[in-house]
Amino acid sequence: MKKDVFTYIIGGKAGQGTKKAGIVAANFFTDLKREVFQMNHYPSLIRGGHNFSVVSTSTSKIFSHYMKADLVVVLDQRSYNLHKNHVAKNGIMVFNSDKAKGKGISIPISSEAKKYKNSDLIEGVAGIAVLAVMVGVFKKKLDEIIKKEYGRNVKDNIKFAHTIYDAANEKIVNKIILKKGDKKFANLSGSEAIGLGAAATGLDLYFGYPMTPSTPVLHFFAGNGKKLGIVVVQPENEIAVANMAIGASFTGARSMVGTSGGGFCLMQEAFSLAGMVEAPVLFYIGQRPGPSTGVPTYTEQGELLFSLNPGQGEFPRIVASPGSIEEAFYLTAELLNLVWRFQTPAILLSEKHLGESSMSATINPSKTKWAVPVMHKGGQYKRYLDTKDGVSPLLFPPSKMLIKWNSYEHDELGLTTEEPELIAKMHDKRLRKQESLVNYLKKMHTINRFGKGEPWIFTFGSTTMSVLEALDYGDINMTVVQPIYLKPFPIWELEGYKENNAIVVEQNSTGQLTSLLREKAGIEIKASILKYDGCPFDPIDLASRIKEVVKVEC
Amino acid sequence: MSADLSTDAEITWCPGCGNFGILNAFKKVVKKLEDKGVDRDKLVISGGIGCHGKIIDYVGLSGLYSIHGRSMATVQGIKLGNPNLKVLAFAGDGDAFGEGIAHMIFAAKRNADITVVVHDNGTYALTTGQFSPTSNKGFKGPSLPQGNIEEPLNPLGLLLEAGASFVARGYSGKIDHLSDIIVQAVLHEGFSVVDVLQPCVVFNNTYKLYNEITEIISKPAENFEEAVMLVKEFRDRMPIGVFYKVNKPVFHREFYGDWNPVVDKVSRNERLKLIEDFV
Repeated sequence: MKKDVFTYIIGGKAGQGTKKAGIVAANFFTDLKREVFQMNHYPSLIRGGHNFSVVSTSTSKIFSHYMKADLVVVLDQRSYNLHKNHVAKNGIMVFNSDKAKGKGISIPISSEAKKYKNSDLIEGVAGIAVLAVMVGVFKKKLDEIIKKEYGRNVKDNIKFAHTIYDAANEKIVNKIILKKGDKKFANLSGSEAIGLGAAATGLDLYFGYPMTPSTPVLHFFAGNGKKLGIVVVQPENEIAVANMAIGASFTGARSMVGTSGGGFCLMQEAFSLAGMVEAPVLFYIGQRPGPSTGVPTYTEQGELLFSLNPGQGEFPRIVASPGSIEEAFYLTAELLNLVWRFQTPAILLSEKHLGESSMSATINPSKTKWAVPVMHKGGQYKRYLDTKDGVSPLLFPPSKMLIKWNSYEHDELGLTTEEPELIAKMHDKRLRKQESLVNYLKKMHTINRFGKGEPWIFTFGSTTMSVLEALDYGDINMTVVQPIYLKPFPIWELEGYKENNAIVVEQNSTGQLTSLLREKAGIEIKASILKYDGCPFDPIDLASRIKEVVKVEC
Repeated sequence: MSADLSTDAEITWCPGCGNFGILNAFKKVVKKLEDKGVDRDKLVISGGIGCHGKIIDYVGLSGLYSIHGRSMATVQGIKLGNPNLKVLAFAGDGDAFGEGIAHMIFAAKRNADITVVVHDNGTYALTTGQFSPTSNKGFKGPSLPQGNIEEPLNPLGLLLEAGASFVARGYSGKIDHLSDIIVQAVLHEGFSVVDVLQPCVVFNNTYKLYNEITEIISKPAENFEEAVMLVKEFRDRMPIGVFYKVNKPVFHREFYGDWNPVVDKVSRNERLKLIEDFV
């Protein structure tokens, strides 16, 4: 069993500063050179409801939060009820006695907070004060943390924190001393990693219409784009988003769009246009539970099959999904390179669980490449020159040459055609591009394998993190296989797997990765572990489900 | 690019189609713009789907032959990518006022520096003559043989209200006048729309009508209210010309001044340094 994990949960109403308290806790653990994983759970509303943030920390690699906490701080009754079973053995529940009744340590947080202006927002600070007591942080250090993290009302916050600190200090007996780690990591969210990966590769324009859980990427660029030289545009709808991105790519601008499943439905027409005109555009899809509006702020992997074949017609499509926040950085960079190398649209498929969680990450920006296309070298320019590898050189306006991109089937110059021979010829060109893409991917790292032992576990996307943490927690020796690329599907990497015992872990209700493995690689899966309640796996629960399934089915 | 702006594409419009007038006017536009210092290699075009869109194949200028209703979004993307380019979107009445009307309204609202030339023939001609957003009430087409039961839209009024800074109407039968208007539209910095009355010889032959009722106005309206009144007149008297022209802040300039994403790109080394600082 994994040692040295400390988990902190803070729950309350939206607007009480629980997410902020989670971030502050994560930064505190990071300063101790420990690794962290933070997951924020929130409903689709701005004030009220129930929010919680859970931060797990360890001196070794940690891939998931745990839903058994050493310290739970709840600000209201609803949070108490929801989290009373999330207290670990020997863990502590601290509740706000003004708003909740229950077992544990009671502190009148609200009545203390009411003594200050903007008292609702200040309540999250109480969570930090209690954490400070629990892990033996002195008041002086607590003051430093509050000064650094809470810009507004510093004086009041410190005074309030001291009151809570004193109250907690009297009542908390079994304190924990957190061992320091040996390396300070950056604490990155998945959305930040995606934004940074695109920036490292030369992104020029990001287009997005707000839609959870893709919006943090829009906000990342809005906040950081100016100094990076990246333009952020929020047009009238997702249709404009995708079409503007294609227009921008016509000028040579590296363009990317972001949305979730519903918004991507509206972009399919443009996705197909990108396939036909051979526009290099990267589409980011952050998944949430569907169908339709579904559950906007929760997580799911229900768009796997949807993302494999969007848009009408036949053209090369690229789909890949990162299995960690570090991988989100490198994969975004790689996909932006691929769309420019092969002039076809690609999808970066992820989930709320990756995009809105954060974890310790080491990224090396110089390992990325600037996305550079094959350029026209002189002579008469033909936009759709019929080349051996199917990739026609690019040229951008202004130019004395004619540059014509065409949504109709076209000749090499880009003029519309209805000639049967030309129609077939251009299909062949795009098919050769598809082959070139596959050959190119064969030389790349398209699949991750972790650990040793049988049976194997197939998984993808952010669920990879849950699986890795579950195996670590449960001392389970199994090989984890995570296809990073989902289209083209790297069957060449899977040929040896057919005869083996394998299970799948994924977050949807129909087993979409299971279907894909069977269809593309002929792999029969013994059993699937599915979760489709909108919440990410808890490693403790997942470890026992894996053990159970392996015992029964394999 | 060929000197006479032609291409090898075979022209497949019906004989007598109003689109010929727009094509000829546009070729004049390119030459007039060159006289005014706008190089043709800096003029980029896009078009939607329908009879009008074929103009993209027929004009020897660079561009992106887009999809139905989206050419206005396409050219806004081109402009944002490289603001040194002048962009012009051709659209049919179905493109601009049906499928893509949201893009029109928002391009006008944000005063995007684009020109939209609408080939407004009041019918979906390439799909055999169904009623369109600007078809008159009673217009008979294969999808509504008993006659259109909807009133036609007043698109220019709508765009004025949305904030359009240049609004004009032309007639494909008056080529010189039309080319003058489009030149002004392209030179106008901000959103410009030219609604072109365009007879469809097969499904909506309006030559006789437009020859009778179109009336060239000598100057734009004095103010917004007058322009709103002017564009409403399209029954007995059909004014053509520039109705409204006003200088307003332009979207890409408000956004990033004179900076150009593809020309003034932040270097890789600088980017990597900033990213390292972030992590």
